[in-house]
Amino acid sequence: MDRNFKLILLTCMLLAVIGASACISGENDETAKGDSFVENSQDLVVGISSDVNNWYLDKFADGDARFVWSQVYETLVRLDSNLNIIPGLAESWETPDNGTTWIFHLRKNVTFHDGTSFNADSVVFSYSDKSYVRQAVLKPIKSIEALDNYTVKFVLQKPMPLPFYLTHVAWPIMGPGCLDKAGNFIKPVGTGPFKFESQKKDQEIVLIRNDAYWGNKSLLNKVSFKIIPDPSTQVMAFENGELDMIIKVPEYDVKRLEAKKGIQVQKKLSTFTDFLQFNCDKTPFNDTKVRQSVAYAIDTKALVNDVLNGVGKPAEGRPYSPNMMYSDPNLKTYSQDLDKSKALLKEAGWEDSNRDGILEKDGSPLNCTLLVSKGAWAARHTLMAQVAQEDLRKIGMNVEIQVLDEGAISKLEGVGNFGMILRTGYFVWGPYPKHFFIHHSKSPYSHYHNETYDQLVDAADSTIDPQKQKELYYALQDFVIKEVPAFYLVHEEKVVATGPSVKGFVITAEDPWLDLSGVYLERK
Amino acid sequence: MEYPKASEVKRPISENDRNIRRISMWKYIANRLAMVLIVIAGVTLVSFFAMYLAPGDPAELIALERYGQDLDKSQIESVREAEGLDAPVYFQYFIWLDHLLHLDLGRSIITSDDVLEEILLKLPATIELTVAGLLISLLIALPIGVLSAFQKNILLDNCCAFFSLIGISIPNFWLGILLIWLFSLTLHIFPSYGYGSLSHLTLPALTLGISMSSITARLTRASLMEVMEKEYILAARARGFDEYTVVLRHALKNALLPVVTFAGMQLGYLLGGAVIVETIFSWPGIGKLLVDSIFARDFSMVQGCVLFIAVLFSLSSLAVDILYAVLDPRIRYDMYD
Repeated sequence: MDRNFKLILLTCMLLAVIGASACISGENDETAKGDSFVENSQDLVVGISSDVNNWYLDKFADGDARFVWSQVYETLVRLDSNLNIIPGLAESWETPDNGTTWIFHLRKNVTFHDGTSFNADSVVFSYSDKSYVRQAVLKPIKSIEALDNYTVKFVLQKPMPLPFYLTHVAWPIMGPGCLDKAGNFIKPVGTGPFKFESQKKDQEIVLIRNDAYWGNKSLLNKVSFKIIPDPSTQVMAFENGELDMIIKVPEYDVKRLEAKKGIQVQKKLSTFTDFLQFNCDKTPFNDTKVRQSVAYAIDTKALVNDVLNGVGKPAEGRPYSPNMMYSDPNLKTYSQDLDKSKALLKEAGWEDSNRDGILEKDGSPLNCTLLVSKGAWAARHTLMAQVAQEDLRKIGMNVEIQVLDEGAISKLEGVGNFGMILRTGYFVWGPYPKHFFIHHSKSPYSHYHNETYDQLVDAADSTIDPQKQKELYYALQDFVIKEVPAFYLVHEEKVVATGPSVKGFVITAEDPWLDLSGVYLERK
Repeated sequence: MEYPKASEVKRPISENDRNIRRISMWKYIANRLAMVLIVIAGVTLVSFFAMYLAPGDPAELIALERYGQDLDKSQIESVREAEGLDAPVYFQYFIWLDHLLHLDLGRSIITSDDVLEEILLKLPATIELTVAGLLISLLIALPIGVLSAFQKNILLDNCCAFFSLIGISIPNFWLGILLIWLFSLTLHIFPSYGYGSLSHLTLPALTLGISMSSITARLTRASLMEVMEKEYILAARARGFDEYTVVLRHALKNALLPVVTFAGMQLGYLLGGAVIVETIFSWPGIGKLLVDSIFARDFSMVQGCVLFIAVLFSLSSLAVDILYAVLDPRIRYDMYD
């Protein structure tokens, strides 16, 4: 073939692979290292996995949106980094009648981002009938009334420890300026340390410092949240210096990042606990002994060490993360004991009569399904489910894992066609043990029905005396260990990584919060 | 040398013939267009009812989105009533169709955004990535295809075959991460994610381009080798043209027909979103929107996206058919005959 012709073809190939890319890079060189990395700039760039789809109280803010909300909005009551209750926009609160009426005394000299002042009317506005939380968790609220400019009275239908509920970042105080005259949402108006600046859908959210902030003003000028759904890309962008901080480091990257010079990885036990929920309405899990035998069979230490690379804490059946309120430190938990597990199954009447390794009772084998959701926790849950499957095989239980989307799971749940579901963090807010409601007969997600349990949950939720609450919640934890409506596997650990320029960051235990007070940058 | 039969000899083309051919071309396009419309009608049916067959209750979803996990059954029922989800399904379909004819694809269950607006917002990013990916794939594939067609059984051909095999075998998500590792982490040339500038476009477009180019290259090679056996190539050589002219002017043009079809199909697929590439590089395109909506069970958004993608796909295959007819007159003659 003609030499010139070959030369032309080769040039074309080179053009395609290198030429197209190299010439492009020249014009926009700084983007390879992030858009805003100017020396001494105080512009923090944070990687998150999902965008903020909603800025208003008519809907629940889910996913990573809450990390952004916690910069813009504030709640009446706050939690410190160790989940202790501290004043937020309310300086103090009291209940004159044991929890049916709550009076909050508000902080003065607080202004919203639009310049209007924060007062009792804005609290009434935020918790109006329009707010979704009034139709959900705060349904027992009968009325909210401004007693004067800085005092608000909540009247409830039944006694309830309201301040705990009001710590949740998805139910903050918003300024009436976020709506236009027709009642349509215009822009986020909060009181937080940062103001909303701009949002590019599915790309980034930019916040700037609120110079009129009532507390310690942030040392940062700007925070950009970059939306990167793929965890590997997020970690690589972080290592490349395009991000200063990632707030959900995948377990398998923790050790590698920890070993890297300049990168700081901080871990803290969060309020979330993964658990195996049983279908107690159907055989085999309608038998407490079978549920107990599962609890003795699964090695939760191996789950943490082998599956989660040492990130997290084995729960061994304990429903509450040790850092939560009323978590019983002396609770008698489970540890793997296959002999005990097999003995319990034998007591329940399950035996391997045909010697195929799987137990039988009345002619039917010990088979069950384990549902795992394809949602945000899928990566970790699928692996955990496989380890549990292996462990249960050892005691003669045949588990079929089904990884399904939430819709399919809710359908199977509706008709009761499942054995176990691997779940995490249902009804967890702040340190408060509301989570027990999931096994209450009234919960749509409950598959356990026990009157004593229901009464304990109702009593605990309507009492405000700390000593009594403690007794009741201790009793509930003991109940869960003995009756095993669910077997609790792993207390999750929150992992945040910061780059070499980031100084002054301290991780908090409350999951949806990102506390950036005290954070500053030293760019070289 | 065999002579063609009398019936195969074409008569000289008269002005009248040309007119008839022009009309047949329009007829051909009209025919294809009608078929596209039928396909789209079918798609509306499938995309609407598929969502109803999918597990999960839309009313529960909306309620869950509004009130969080702490909801009770009465709230689900009130949502069902308010959103018209208690009406018979066929009735809901006709209402949806009516809205569709007014270009109203509804609002997202999750974000309350207008579905059509949301899709149109993502369209430029998808088109940008598609066109860049396709261009890169052709730039890589055509030279490789041509080179290997002429270097049968020697090192270069084997290298090209090896490249193609690797290109086919490597999954997109791995290639994408590898490119990020090389060009972002190691060489610091390109950003690892994001959208907005040409440098952001490079890595995702390269990922797409490389993975698509392998099949295109093999196709070009095969097709070109077949064409090179034809008599008219021999004739061209006999007339003393140099190899360059023979290949580029006589062979390649004819060999490209299957390549055009394939590239057109690829275009259709890509306009539907290069889902994996978009997710890895946080590219805000339609594919990512669709996948996000599926996971969020955003029924109206999924219906809108599926419909939109199907329409784009049908239109792009229509465009390919027309282009094909322009490139290869035999197709029009078939209609005419």
